[in-house]
Amino acid sequence: MRIYNSLRTGIFRALRSWKSVLIVWFIMFILVSVFMYPLRSSADSAFGTSMITEKLSAGFDIEIFADLGPLFKSLVSFFLSGILMAYLAGFILNSFLTGGLFNIVRENKGQFSGREFFRAGALNFWPFLFISLIVTIVIILLGLVLVRIPSLIAGASETISEKGAFYIVISGIVVFLVIIPLPVLIADYARAWKTVNANSSCFRALGFGFSYTFRNFLSSFFTMVPLIIFQIILGYLILTILSGWRPVTGGGLFLLLIISQLMLCFRILLKVWRYASITYLFEGSIKADPVINNF
Amino acid sequence: MRKTLISLACLFLIIQIVSPQIINKVPLSERITGYKINVTLDTDAKTVGGNLEAFWINKSSDTVPDIRMHLYMNAFRSNRTTFYKESGGSPGENEKDPGWIEIESFHDKNDVDLLPMMEFIRPDDGNSEDKTVIRVLLPEPALPGDTVFVKIDFVTKLPSAIRRTGYTDNYFFVAQWFPKFGVYEPAGMRYATSGGWNCHQFHANSEFYSNHSVYDVKIKVPESYVTGSGGQLISETLDGEMKTLVFRAEDIVDFAWTAWTDYASYNDKWRDVNIILLIPKERIKQVGRQFTAVKNALEYLDQNVGPYPWPHLTFVDPPSIGAGAGGMEYTTLFTSVSSYFMPDFLHIPELVTIHEFGHAYFMGMLASNEFEEPWLDEGVNSYWEERIMDHYYGKNSGVLDHRMLKIPDITYSRLSYVLSPSRQVISNNEYSWNYPHGTYSMMSYLKTATWLHTLEGIVGQETMNNIFRQYYKKWAFRHPSGRDFVNVVNEVVRIDHWDKFGPDMNWFFDQTLYGTGICDYKVSGIINRKYSKPAGKTESADTVITFWPHSDSLYTSTARLERAGEIMLPVDVLIHFTDGSELLESWDGKARYKDFKYTGYREIQWVKIDPDFKIRMDVNFNNNSMTKDPPKVPLHQLISKITTFVQYFLSVMLL
Repeated sequence: MRIYNSLRTGIFRALRSWKSVLIVWFIMFILVSVFMYPLRSSADSAFGTSMITEKLSAGFDIEIFADLGPLFKSLVSFFLSGILMAYLAGFILNSFLTGGLFNIVRENKGQFSGREFFRAGALNFWPFLFISLIVTIVIILLGLVLVRIPSLIAGASETISEKGAFYIVISGIVVFLVIIPLPVLIADYARAWKTVNANSSCFRALGFGFSYTFRNFLSSFFTMVPLIIFQIILGYLILTILSGWRPVTGGGLFLLLIISQLMLCFRILLKVWRYASITYLFEGSIKADPVINNF
Repeated sequence: MRKTLISLACLFLIIQIVSPQIINKVPLSERITGYKINVTLDTDAKTVGGNLEAFWINKSSDTVPDIRMHLYMNAFRSNRTTFYKESGGSPGENEKDPGWIEIESFHDKNDVDLLPMMEFIRPDDGNSEDKTVIRVLLPEPALPGDTVFVKIDFVTKLPSAIRRTGYTDNYFFVAQWFPKFGVYEPAGMRYATSGGWNCHQFHANSEFYSNHSVYDVKIKVPESYVTGSGGQLISETLDGEMKTLVFRAEDIVDFAWTAWTDYASYNDKWRDVNIILLIPKERIKQVGRQFTAVKNALEYLDQNVGPYPWPHLTFVDPPSIGAGAGGMEYTTLFTSVSSYFMPDFLHIPELVTIHEFGHAYFMGMLASNEFEEPWLDEGVNSYWEERIMDHYYGKNSGVLDHRMLKIPDITYSRLSYVLSPSRQVISNNEYSWNYPHGTYSMMSYLKTATWLHTLEGIVGQETMNNIFRQYYKKWAFRHPSGRDFVNVVNEVVRIDHWDKFGPDMNWFFDQTLYGTGICDYKVSGIINRKYSKPAGKTESADTVITFWPHSDSLYTSTARLERAGEIMLPVDVLIHFTDGSELLESWDGKARYKDFKYTGYREIQWVKIDPDFKIRMDVNFNNNSMTKDPPKVPLHQLISKITTFVQYFLSVMLL
């Protein structure tokens, strides 16, 4: 029941925060466009007046990019460094935006106020940045320990059979995927706690997130399960639609842009749903045990 | 009388070698050489030891004073061999566990000890540390028609896995393992101007040049080992903890075999060909796709080149511990690759299986000299591999068939060639060890395949098939040279197209096979000008103006084309006008530039050189077309999708 309530309340609160969802989408769209737009112009300029791009109507064609020669290398390096820069900038921006989001999905929050959203984002920026950084590092380490290192050992070993090596790698990935909600929960509880305990340190917030995740392991974990399933379904839909849809006109291209951006808005909504559900669980525990707030 | 007796004894011995089992009722080749080998695999010492009886028939009109044999396994004897020097001199861990072959005794048919007459020679580089070729002076020179018969006791120490041979734990792949005759080339054969042995050292980038031979091979291995070879299994007998397998192979150029305890053996059939697949037991999921691939190759090459003449075929999918043995050919035995988990969209096992099987034709039957003309073996085979892959696994998805990304096999070879910074350093017509800057694979495999596709684009696929059918008919089970192949091309193109391409196709091969130039045609401009009245002239019956009454909408349009590379090939040029009409022009491609000019009530909208991408050698397809109104949607939809993926990626990665 608690899981159901958290999800139900979470979705209501997320829908109530639709304006913040749009803000987050818009900022991230601008961020990505900052490097994708020059990339598009570079690609336009690289192909110039050639008609070879017609071949892209049938799907990605590596040959036409490879024929660009040194220009292709420049485009690839521009793209990769662009993604890296977007990730780093996104990491910082996300810390700011989640500050606003965690504030807005709290109980008894009335009408959306942009001013309050950004104020909360600014207030929580540094602690949230720190929490995100620590938890991201933990996730990377988990990936190394559970997936990368076993893969390397299994691949190098002459005594482990291929089947054995395959199952070692798959087991590592499965365990990693099963465990991944835990650091995410820790980060979410830590941020929910920090939102209402502005003067406490980040370490205390992380400590709270850690202890609360394991104290309410079942309800927290199973609240995450349906959210993860929805996210996987959405991811699959995005990949399927985008890979299969090949517009041939400008109108079709515009429609593709609108549909894909709508799906991304929905992706952000799912994330806010997660924040709101976790916040609800956190608030419920405060009511049941006010001492917990003084962790 | 004595000579007659000796001849009869010799004949008897040959019959003994040949007689145990006849696979092909009519010999496919001249069978100039034959081998009867009896060996035991010592799984602890990692050696294969025993004896070999072999013959060579002097079919030439020369008196030959000596014989030459390959002792390939000595390539792995030390890090000073020619093989290691060419490989960068870094044998890695193999230095601690070398491979070698020792000749313990060497006798002729009269039991004359030939060991004192044996010497190591280095015909290619004079490297005194290389012991991969021996010369044995015969007590009596071999007269025309004579048969030289030798008996050799030898021990081969297998190296830890290297270059498709050796062992890893209890896995053995035994290749390049026994003393093997070189090829005696009389004057007039291939490029020989006088008779002599063609017996090259073992190089980093070459493997085969041998006569088609008969092999009777008796192998003793521990009973628990599953064994496969290029021969047909004649018998298997148990002797305590050991078993003896007798194989026979006819008309093949090399004999290799493998033994491992954990092979699973599967059988299938294509027409009358029994196919055996040896594969690790745990890779059962790959069995179906491997058989399908080899049957596809059999079918396609049978249809378009010639029949596969042997009733047996064995192929091996080595385990990961023996992965180094993967992707190699021994005519009726070849090795592929796969793994326990191999996604269906990735056609790597199929590609390797089809490529290696193809060598049964290109080098196996059409036994060219891989040392001297590697393109005729690897390049021609790559061309057929690409045709087969793209035919059976999708025109656009021969290598990779995922909905997000498709890559045809034909693209892979072209890109490897056009993107290589060393694509012009040397021609295709070089000995395998002479390719500089790591260009061997790119030149022998990929450039060759690319110009063969280009040739197909010029003469058509059916003519290409006719060329290879004729090549097969004329040269199967013989030793064709590159020149022989070119002659077949000239002959068939003449029959199919008469003089459409000139008296012969040498102009093509001079540029592609023997040249180092690149091919690059480009559209350099489209010019549409409104027709203007000639100054000072009045309209009259003999001026063009009377012919074109609406001179205000009359245009002179020019499509400007250029040849940016050295290679000159005939190309199609498709010109599209604003009124929707199109003209397909032909350009012989010889001049450095060409203008196509038109006058009419229409402008040129776009121009495409080689609109069907037939000239695969063109190093840049992007400049082959030009338009007044570039198609932006296909590129922008791709960028738009990438934008969405990046946004999604960030959304997932950021907490």
